[in-house]
Amino acid sequence: MSARDVTPDESSELQGLWQAAKQGDRRALARLLTLAGQSEHKPTLYRLLAHSSPPRSSLVSAITGSPGAGKSSLIGKMLPLIRQQGHTVAVLACDPRSPLTGGALLGDRIRMPVTVEDQGIYIRSLATPPGRQGIAESLDIRVGILEHSGFDWILVETVGVGQGDVAVRDLVDCVVLLIPPESGDEIQWEKAGLLELADLVVVSKGDMPGATRTAAQLQQTLNLPGFPPKQILVVSVARNLGIAELVKQLHEQPRRRHAPERRGQRLLLLAQEILAERFAERKDLVQGVLAEARRQGWDDWQAANELVHWLMTHE
Amino acid sequence: MSSDAMNAPRRGNMNTKNQRIVLAKVGLDGHDRGIKVVARALRDAGFEVIYPGLWLSPEAVVRVVAEEDAPWLGISLLSGTHLVLVPKVLELLRQQGLSHVRVVVGGTIPEEDVAPLLACGVAKVFGPGSSLADIVSYFKSEAYHERTRCNSG
Repeated sequence: MSARDVTPDESSELQGLWQAAKQGDRRALARLLTLAGQSEHKPTLYRLLAHSSPPRSSLVSAITGSPGAGKSSLIGKMLPLIRQQGHTVAVLACDPRSPLTGGALLGDRIRMPVTVEDQGIYIRSLATPPGRQGIAESLDIRVGILEHSGFDWILVETVGVGQGDVAVRDLVDCVVLLIPPESGDEIQWEKAGLLELADLVVVSKGDMPGATRTAAQLQQTLNLPGFPPKQILVVSVARNLGIAELVKQLHEQPRRRHAPERRGQRLLLLAQEILAERFAERKDLVQGVLAEARRQGWDDWQAANELVHWLMTHE
Repeated sequence: MSSDAMNAPRRGNMNTKNQRIVLAKVGLDGHDRGIKVVARALRDAGFEVIYPGLWLSPEAVVRVVAEEDAPWLGISLLSGTHLVLVPKVLELLRQQGLSHVRVVVGGTIPEEDVAPLLACGVAKVFGPGSSLADIVSYFKSEAYHERTRCNSG
């Protein structure tokens, strides 16, 4: 498969960009993040990542929550606070890609300040295909590239997600789940999924009616006797409340990303990504399997298994 | 390469996937209906459209283009300041080594201002009366030519 071969030319071009990005060249960084989304460059990029050590270990946090919960706006307010503490920060902002056309409208930047002079902030928008649990393709390698470029903080904004979109946890140190006021009752907070995995639970839009009640419900439900305690914060972007506290709490989070058990999870995610790419490339095989299924009288289960076999073995 | 492999769809070659366009409003101009309609049309044509919002300075727009590594910048102007702000954006792009970025201008651009804009480096102007179909097919055909260049080069 051609995607696994690396030509020396391509490898040296990527190496040049890699070195430039490490030395603070933002154009090279932007280019690398583009190339990281193309499967033919991944072998080289992963090798570069494995054979080089970052200037420092970045604190990688995911900001996740339902659409309109206030993720972009919150990040927009966090950026100046992080900069005031003398830290550099990069944002990977995911927005959905259309399942129908492949197009995307990437609008997260509207809520974030555009700093003209400050090289300590870098923001990148990423289109995210459906079925990816709210995170863009190649997020792992992109986080790695940013870490090697020397950012102290990396914030990953997921696509607006639901209860089951938990994959981001294996790629970051800390997951912040944003919950808008009045978006559920006590039973909602008992359910399994994202709420279990969040390291910090934050009620957004704290200036709106119902925010205090939602925070109180979460506090009661998530902190039952005998269960590990989970802190609930309330923030308001409109009133600039609670955001400094959130930044402080994030700063104190343990670096979980490099824990040995996470590596296996990351490999599984990567393998899924490779398979998804392969399947997307060879949708043409479906027609062949359908024709064969009609000839052989296969049912859907048999045909689907045969399709998997074809996808794995056909060049 | 077998004919089977030749016929197989390959990523990015068959459509507009990964084609990134920054659409921007520059200066004190709050008229964003047009740019939103164009953004929707390009999204539906399969492009990745990055829209950073209103009231950006030329410096801020260029920063967004650089960070997003976008080969295209579409600027919408309905304030009559196009002959001042567009050359400034183009100059900043050149200064920052981004002269490969192609700039398209849309909005209330009088007929007589089209030639000066093209002369200073704008790739295309879509003035009043331009149809969405024209805009989309322009970007699609440019994206196609771009790919052909990349594949043969």
